[in-house]
Amino acid sequence: MPIFSYLVYPEHNKKQHLIDALLAERFCEIKVAENEEVLILVTDTPDEKTNKDLLDRIQKLESLQSLSMTFGHT
Amino acid sequence: MTTSRRSFIKAMALNSAALAATAIFPGISFSAWEKTDLPSGSIVWSKTPCRFCGTGCSLLVGVSGDKAVAVKGDPNSSVNKGLCCVKGYHCVQILYGNDRFKTAYVRKNGELVATPITEALDLVAQKMGESIQKTGKDSVAIYGSGQWSIPDGYTASKLFKGCIGTNNVEANARLCMASAVTGCLTSFGLDEPMGCYEDIDHADVFVTWGNNMAEMHPVLFSRMLANRKSKNHVQIIDLTTRWTRSSQAADKSILFEPQTDLAIANAICHEIIQNNWVNWEFVKNHVSFHSGKTNIGYGTQDHFSFTDEAKTEDFDAYKAFLADYTPERVEKLSKVPAEDIKYLASLFGDPDKRVTSFWTMGMNQHTRGTWINNLVYNIHLLTGKISSPGNSPFSLTGQPSACGTVREVGTLTHALPHGVVMNQKDREMAAEIWDVPVENIDPKPTYHTVEMFRALDRGDITFMWIQVTNPMVTMPNLKRYRDGAKKEGRFIVVSEIYPTPTSDVADVILPSALWVEREGFFGNSERRTQHNAQLVPKPGEAMCNTWQLIQVARRLGFERQFPWSQETYIEDIWNEYTRFHDSPKHRMAPYKLLKERSGVQWPFVNGRETKWRYNGQYDPACDGDSFDFYGKPDHRAWIWLRPYEPAAESPDTEYPFWLNTGRVLEHWHTGSMTRRIPILHKAVPESYVEINPEDAKALGVVNGSLVKIISRRGEMAMKANINGRGNPSRGQVFVPFFDENYLINEVTLDAFCPISKQPDYKKCAVKLEKV
Amino acid sequence: MEIPSRKPAKLFFLFAGICAMAIPFIVFSALSIGSQERGSQEMAAQTQDLSFDHNGGVIFSAYDDTTYAYMEGNSTARTLEYYYTLRQYPGSPPYIVHDLEDEKGQPYECLSCHGKGGFTQSMNRFTPVTPHPEQSYCRQCHVKPVTEEMFKATDWKSVMPPLLGRSALAGSPPPIAHDIQMRENCIACHVGPGTVSVLRVEHPMRGNCRQCHLPQVAAGLFTRAPQPKQQ
Repeated sequence: MPIFSYLVYPEHNKKQHLIDALLAERFCEIKVAENEEVLILVTDTPDEKTNKDLLDRIQKLESLQSLSMTFGHT
Repeated sequence: MTTSRRSFIKAMALNSAALAATAIFPGISFSAWEKTDLPSGSIVWSKTPCRFCGTGCSLLVGVSGDKAVAVKGDPNSSVNKGLCCVKGYHCVQILYGNDRFKTAYVRKNGELVATPITEALDLVAQKMGESIQKTGKDSVAIYGSGQWSIPDGYTASKLFKGCIGTNNVEANARLCMASAVTGCLTSFGLDEPMGCYEDIDHADVFVTWGNNMAEMHPVLFSRMLANRKSKNHVQIIDLTTRWTRSSQAADKSILFEPQTDLAIANAICHEIIQNNWVNWEFVKNHVSFHSGKTNIGYGTQDHFSFTDEAKTEDFDAYKAFLADYTPERVEKLSKVPAEDIKYLASLFGDPDKRVTSFWTMGMNQHTRGTWINNLVYNIHLLTGKISSPGNSPFSLTGQPSACGTVREVGTLTHALPHGVVMNQKDREMAAEIWDVPVENIDPKPTYHTVEMFRALDRGDITFMWIQVTNPMVTMPNLKRYRDGAKKEGRFIVVSEIYPTPTSDVADVILPSALWVEREGFFGNSERRTQHNAQLVPKPGEAMCNTWQLIQVARRLGFERQFPWSQETYIEDIWNEYTRFHDSPKHRMAPYKLLKERSGVQWPFVNGRETKWRYNGQYDPACDGDSFDFYGKPDHRAWIWLRPYEPAAESPDTEYPFWLNTGRVLEHWHTGSMTRRIPILHKAVPESYVEINPEDAKALGVVNGSLVKIISRRGEMAMKANINGRGNPSRGQVFVPFFDENYLINEVTLDAFCPISKQPDYKKCAVKLEKV
Repeated sequence: MEIPSRKPAKLFFLFAGICAMAIPFIVFSALSIGSQERGSQEMAAQTQDLSFDHNGGVIFSAYDDTTYAYMEGNSTARTLEYYYTLRQYPGSPPYIVHDLEDEKGQPYECLSCHGKGGFTQSMNRFTPVTPHPEQSYCRQCHVKPVTEEMFKATDWKSVMPPLLGRSALAGSPPPIAHDIQMRENCIACHVGPGTVSVLRVEHPMRGNCRQCHLPQVAAGLFTRAPQPKQQ
């Protein structure tokens, strides 16, 4: 049961877009910083493959600037 | 992994991330989960009626900061119980189109020049004054709307009828509900339905008469579907000229030739009498019979006038009258098999079945609209299926406040907030409440809508103020009226929110506030008044219609009649207006209650809503416990002997198709609002002409082909839509009118019901040519 | 699911924790697709041709025929991931994943399970329901792979599957993300125990789905045609 958390940096002016995209994903929960352009993302997937695919999908989002892992549990 | 261990690990994950974030961004703070979809602050939810159709759903609009950002259905509303349709869910987006009017415009040398609104209002008052001086009070007119908030209509009526003294007050509800009004008045003596939406939960049979409820009153349609699903025996019968989404859901779809609804309704009554399904007790005690003039014309000529004459009849005369309307005879006329007519009659005639009839434009936008309303009431009266739960002949309203504003305030040429201008007592009441000399109020009605635009064309009207409506798209036989409005010496003032073909002909454009940008009231089909507070600020110089009228009234010297302050004027107007309706037959709820509740029905008597009128068990205005049709002097409902008469312009060899016009779910009227809502525009971006597949084949036309629709008045080239959501019968085509790039009303005919003066947008003759 | 051995997990946590304390060493650069301003035309703004939209009535009869119990069923956790592994592109006919005959050699009648859904003993799961039962020759489109070996390699790629929940406002009904043709019966895929769990709707009792959920027929926004000059 992979559980990971990340700091997520959106592209300039695309924060809301990124929030919408991540909210649409099933295994993601986010917390939005009120005073900085950064989000916390916690992913909780049933298996490795789903986790990898989820990560692939997130990385392809055009509103995402970068992702930084801060916790991992497999 | 157990849930608790999992949550623990997730909490650790979250903390790690938060810690890391704090290390990188000292002083960072995070909002709670629930608000992650907002940049800042929280959403405040407030109730409001929906801006669109006559269902009158109650919504909760979510405001964040000073923007409307979300919509929920209001679970406290008995109308929609938390559900909306796609237009309702996105209605707040209409506030934010890029080309919203935020200042006034005055036309100088053909160009619209931005002008501060105070200057524009000065000009409006000046031009009005000049016109009255030069050509008399009947040279000025106001054309309002069923989308007017109640105070808008009330102020307009008070200014024009009470102060200036002209009956040139009309509203676009003339084009959508007038036949429903005259139908009610001729059958019952009082306007508006006697039943309510709760009938939907009780009925066993629903008959929709020429209306596409699945797209036009979707939330009520869903309530019907829910009723049918919960009780196996419930039936939905779709009586229609065109196959629609409603037909897809109906248990039975009965297609008839346009205009023959008159004959079908009579045939049903014939069968009811023939099979002795008449509710004798009801008929003997609560019904009387009457006939009117026949061969009453179509109003296509200027100055057409008609007054009906009622003659008392009796049951035997009625029965003899119906001898012409046997199902077999009507089958030939209507193309509806006699057995289907008999089947329909049997549903009405079954004493154990509660029947609700719904109709909207198919019956109201009809050259015999008053008659067909009478005829459907006849069926319900013969069987006694009226004014009780589930038994309901119900004319659904098109616009959000055609009832609340136009019908109840009386913003029509002949009407007053209580009664009519022709009645001395009603004039005296208005004069007293309005604080004007009773001589001001003209006892003679002037023009109904079509005649008013004809008068504008002729030059009898030289100043017209148009609020909240788009006649330069919606007038039938449009070219004449558009050219008329553009003539020299006509001064047109338009209160609008977005540029439209009507604002294109304006001399002055006043920026209006949208409904949630100001406090107001709407009244829906089931006599339910709903209040909304101002939820967001007005953009730029936008001013609510009521205040625009008050500002002009004051400039014309009527400060005494319009004294209210900007903080309380809406409440003050409500308190003044409700004085007109202070009787158990029409009492309105007090302001405070309307602010709290998600709508209150009238009559509101002794703290309770009257759900079923004319029934002593539910209506305190009745004498006794039984039925009492107190609208009529004989306290009975009137059955009218109304014949079939053909349409104004039926197809012939030269123009062999019927042209029908109407709406689609996604778009409201002329699209000025809904086309600026991205999801709605993207779903239906362009108008089209629906053609029957066999007709299309004969024409050599496929989906998307350009087809020219030609009538004696104009032509329009449009893309064909075949086997889409609607399917006209052979010999008919259908065009939705929401697209200003396809002004289909240049093709339609300005014939109207001589009694209601409501034009028939559903029937004229056209030919098709492949382009 | 068995608990993996603790040690690697703990080490991993520690490692990640250390990383997190300092400036993040691990930075994944996402594929930024340039700085294209897409405005409100989001990714996968697939438009569709609704010229043939006359089959919409199936949702109404499905609504009447589906029992309340079925509507509330939410047993499976079929994933969207799995759903898409059976397809070559969004909307393609999915593979058949099970045997086509029982042990006795009798061929299965597709609609007996896929017509109305329900639990099937032999495969120990809830079945997905077809949105187009009127097409009776199932195997003209749905086939069963019998080998994983490719004939020749291919670099076939298709579009991303439609994104979910593209509501215009918070809480408003999301648009229909897929083509409607042959999928007019919303209940088949969005309601019941056999559905993909992320697609399962929380309001199955409402009968007229398309009163709130719309497809996208055009991509752009409305702009007014330029008006001729007035006199």
